[in-house]
Amino acid sequence: MLDLHEKIEDAVAEIKKHWDKTPHAGVILGTGLGSLVKEIEVEVTIDYGDIPHFPSSTAISHAGRLVCGTLAGLPIVAMEGRMHMYEGYPLKMITLPVRVMKALGAGLLVVSNACGGMNPNYRCGDIMIIEDHINLMGDNPLIGINDDRLGPRFPDMCEPYQQSLVDRALAIARKEDIVAHKGVFVAVAGPNLETRAEYRFLRTIGADVVGMSTVPEVIVAVHCGLRVVGFSIITDMCLPDALKPANVEEIIAVANDAEPHLTTLVKGVLAEEKS
Amino acid sequence: MPTVSSHYQQKIDEATNFVRDRINSVPRVAIILGTGLGKLATHIKPEVTLPYDEIPHFPQSTALSHQGQLVLGTLEGIPVVAMQGRFHLYEGYSSSEAVLPVYIMQKLGAEFLVVSNASGGVNPKFTGGDIMVMNSHINLMFRRHSELGDHNAIPGSPDQPGTLLYDRELIDLALQTGRKHNFHVHEGCYVSLTGPNYETRSEYRMVRKIGGDVVGMSTVPEVLTAHSLQMRVLALSAITNIAKPDTLSETTAEEVVDIARLAEPRLTAIVISLLRTL
Repeated sequence: MLDLHEKIEDAVAEIKKHWDKTPHAGVILGTGLGSLVKEIEVEVTIDYGDIPHFPSSTAISHAGRLVCGTLAGLPIVAMEGRMHMYEGYPLKMITLPVRVMKALGAGLLVVSNACGGMNPNYRCGDIMIIEDHINLMGDNPLIGINDDRLGPRFPDMCEPYQQSLVDRALAIARKEDIVAHKGVFVAVAGPNLETRAEYRFLRTIGADVVGMSTVPEVIVAVHCGLRVVGFSIITDMCLPDALKPANVEEIIAVANDAEPHLTTLVKGVLAEEKS
Repeated sequence: MPTVSSHYQQKIDEATNFVRDRINSVPRVAIILGTGLGKLATHIKPEVTLPYDEIPHFPQSTALSHQGQLVLGTLEGIPVVAMQGRFHLYEGYSSSEAVLPVYIMQKLGAEFLVVSNASGGVNPKFTGGDIMVMNSHINLMFRRHSELGDHNAIPGSPDQPGTLLYDRELIDLALQTGRKHNFHVHEGCYVSLTGPNYETRSEYRMVRKIGGDVVGMSTVPEVLTAHSLQMRVLALSAITNIAKPDTLSETTAEEVVDIARLAEPRLTAIVISLLRTL
């Protein structure tokens, strides 16, 4: 972990050459949600490949660039395209952009993902505000000698997703007539989807939805002291007793359909940051 | 006996010889002192104290409140080897590195492993400061020992008698010590996670639901190694706090270390009871 500090400085220096504002928030756009970028008044985009120590993104539907601009009147940096553990990237590399966002001055991290719904009261296309998570990825981005400049050795996890932001997002959803739940996200490494038995297991241990991302970034956000709000779009229902094969095109189509809702919620949460 | 790679065996041999050249007695009991419990070493009449960085191939300790030295001497007249400071997977050590000292202590002659840790209780019947003697564990660390050779023994396989991981007689001894000295000793299941972050509320609920009584970030790799080497294992957990996921408050490392210190005399009493039976 001791080389991270330098890597962060290198990346920040490069980004500041192109964009010198202080972002209020960092935004990570998950599978199928990349076009939220259209809502951003874009000032600068930088390909990941041009930022030192940033990996390139290989997952389908991921563009792989940092978008700097204004959303809901606030300066933000957004990651269009994220890295996943199943692509083979080490978690320290996947989460480096979060540390860079913090170093650029952001105080808030907005994360989004597409996930499988296991709570039978959810429906495809619904949004879940992440209230808590379970890390079953078998890895942790904080393993290694701790750099005390970046955060504590043993970060507390009693409120990784700020409760007041969960409440704010739910209030906006009610006002805008969007179906939104509050629930628990469990992260697995993937890349295969779960077996029926695994879905039963994950449901039994207390999770409402399952995905292959987000948790590493949130652990690092907590480590470096960012507030976090997380949104999951339920793109397919994973009910072990009525399981259908998942179809990637369908998942992306559902994500795209739900995206206006997500956009409304993200913009709403950010708009209330100002007041 | 399990085999390890020749490269790894060489490390074990070199470190063992280094230590052996500096002692006259053969240690019978190996003790690993976890978070906040390092002071048990002050009860040992030291013959020699070896900082980890002087022992060839020994990993170095980075964790809070861990000193990082091997103490060889006698406790209650029994020759012991104690690790003051241990190696956690969250520090970035591989499993193979983290358990190397267990191989060395066994090779020095230790027949018993006594290991202690600080843990968070999820069993609502437990109270901070209680001791739990481990009778089982659930390994959620997702880490493997990469230096094991092709013919490593699976516990219970023909290579190795099907002994229990946690020695029943030693568990009973710990329970009896608690009754004799009037403090709570529970018997229970330790769930090991890699860490280093403390658990989320949902993770505490998961640990409880799958059958865990306490959760921590150590011990399981060392226990598995000791058992594979046919050592008798006594594993003690000092419960530093009770996680109540429905009203969770913040946990700090300093708090954990403070409460672990309260458990120290109790842990010492159990270890001394064991030594008096030898």
